[in-house]
Amino acid sequence: MSESRVLVIDRDPTRLQNLAACLAFIDHTPILAETPAGLRLEGRRPQDWLAVILGELEDWSEARQFVDWLKRDRRHPPLIVLPPYHEKAIKEFELDPSACLPADYPVKYHQLNELLKRAGLLRMEQEAAMVRRAGGPGGQSAAIRRVRRLIEQVAAFDTTVLVTGESGTGKEVVARAIHDASPRRDKPFVAVNCGAIPSELLESELFGHEKGAFTGAITTRKGRFEMADGGTLFLDEIGDMSLPMQVKILRALQERTYERVGSNRSVRCDVRVIAATHRNLEEAIVKGSFREDLYYRLNVFPIETPPLRERLEDLPLLIDDLVAGLGRHGHAGIRLGADAIHALRAYHWPGNVRELSNLIERLAVLHPKSMVGVQDLPARYRSTAVEAPLAAVPELAAERPPAAPLVPSPLEDGGLLPATPVADLAVLPADGVNLKDHIESIELALIRQAMTQSNGVVAHAAKLLNTRRTTLVEKLRKYGLSRDLPGVEVAGETLEP
Amino acid sequence: MTQSEGRATVKVLLVDDNRGFLTLARHLLAEVPGTELVGMGQDGFEAVKLAEQLRPDLVVMDISMPGMGGLQATRLIKVQDQPPQVVVVSHYDDAAHREHAHAAGADGFVAKNDFEREIAGVIDRCRQNRQPREVLDV
Repeated sequence: MSESRVLVIDRDPTRLQNLAACLAFIDHTPILAETPAGLRLEGRRPQDWLAVILGELEDWSEARQFVDWLKRDRRHPPLIVLPPYHEKAIKEFELDPSACLPADYPVKYHQLNELLKRAGLLRMEQEAAMVRRAGGPGGQSAAIRRVRRLIEQVAAFDTTVLVTGESGTGKEVVARAIHDASPRRDKPFVAVNCGAIPSELLESELFGHEKGAFTGAITTRKGRFEMADGGTLFLDEIGDMSLPMQVKILRALQERTYERVGSNRSVRCDVRVIAATHRNLEEAIVKGSFREDLYYRLNVFPIETPPLRERLEDLPLLIDDLVAGLGRHGHAGIRLGADAIHALRAYHWPGNVRELSNLIERLAVLHPKSMVGVQDLPARYRSTAVEAPLAAVPELAAERPPAAPLVPSPLEDGGLLPATPVADLAVLPADGVNLKDHIESIELALIRQAMTQSNGVVAHAAKLLNTRRTTLVEKLRKYGLSRDLPGVEVAGETLEP
Repeated sequence: MTQSEGRATVKVLLVDDNRGFLTLARHLLAEVPGTELVGMGQDGFEAVKLAEQLRPDLVVMDISMPGMGGLQATRLIKVQDQPPQVVVVSHYDDAAHREHAHAAGADGFVAKNDFEREIAGVIDRCRQNRQPREVLDV
């Protein structure tokens, strides 16, 4: 969605062509129209354009209709209005000045470039927010409940927090949750990824610079410490920071002051710092790549985000959250079949929740409005799954009488243990197994059969499995089965798929 | 990946809606030994499809394109089988653009103005960082 198209509406054909040439020069795709009526809006979305440049209009009421259509999308592109129409446009279209920006004509290259850069960054931030979970880390596992407890404990204080954990485990989600629950919640949350910014640029990015401080510093610019004033500064990937930069950060943390690049004047800062890294900082200290004094300054209140593979019981809930989040942002809905969820549970998730989020987004784009089965997953997510049990169940269901008699214990009926799949599961392969996943596969196969035999009535299936109904309900939720068996009764209600 | 004279060939997919940049990049790539241009796409959706179909080692991905942009395409490509390395190219070069590319999972970032100077280094880094396909094939 980092869109390249810019719509230009102007009744002056010469100006249209001039703007088109200028836009192409700064790597944008011009879409030209002499009047708003000349645009076909069926099947279009306001976000199909990064920005809309308005010049001379033939009919302002026609333009008003077009802008009203744009405004229906709260993330509509900004209007960039050429002289002398800016004031009139703000009044006529009842737009917030931040969404209706003036531009000079003849076009000033730097000005138009800067306006479109800001529009692009705004769009990227909206897109990033779309795939970022709001409201703190999701899930009900013991590991994530512990993280939430730690967030609650530390949020109210200005304590520095160090969030550690593998890449993609949601360290920024934790940092935002701390900020949102803190007294600083109405002030800015400013994130900076120290690993993504070249070290030579990081100092000016963090502390700002004075005009003329270095080549290219054409204006004075605020740094992220200053932008976060009164709020929270999130220093992500702090373990990737160079040693000279670590010294400067340490001083800013100790003395609560810093200097802009090119200035000798100290500026006081009032920020709560949350740092994060996927690296083992204690090892980095031993290797000499991380300062021990900075580590102790940051590691006042440590929080470790658990890898997804250690909280796989959260997977169905996380998937539901991600699908719902995509739906809220205009993506077509998808549903994952039980076989797909089962396969995902057997995967080791090196990229953690971020990888899951990317996968769900990919499935939503490539299989919109579909029920996604295991066959729709990329092969690497399928290959670790134990294949037979889920594939076998539909056939078993079809072959069995609709209301099989209840039996007191599954072990009394050899037929309940399907010979091929589960028996094979009891043989140790030469290269070993993941015991936990393996046992879960057997459990899942038996639950599916019990549910099929009992026509989806959980209470009956629970008797077949000699377990409590509530325990079975929990297991159905854990395996993501509750929505996928027709008429499955969960917690006293019959859920339709 | 193919082998020629001891050097592994890097298969490249170029994606940009700017035909001028595609033409320039194609010519520059032709001058880098050990590269093979396997395809060109003009938006993020094409990039996702072509990356799966052509299995390049490297995708050179513009950041802003019509419909699906380069950041979303990068996120989607990174969960395909045998995901390629992705280097995002951008008309704008500042910290915020680099952070967004990094967050999308890009392996590198090159400003379009520096592309001519940096393309050989990009290919070299791709060759060094590439994991053998048999490792990626689960």
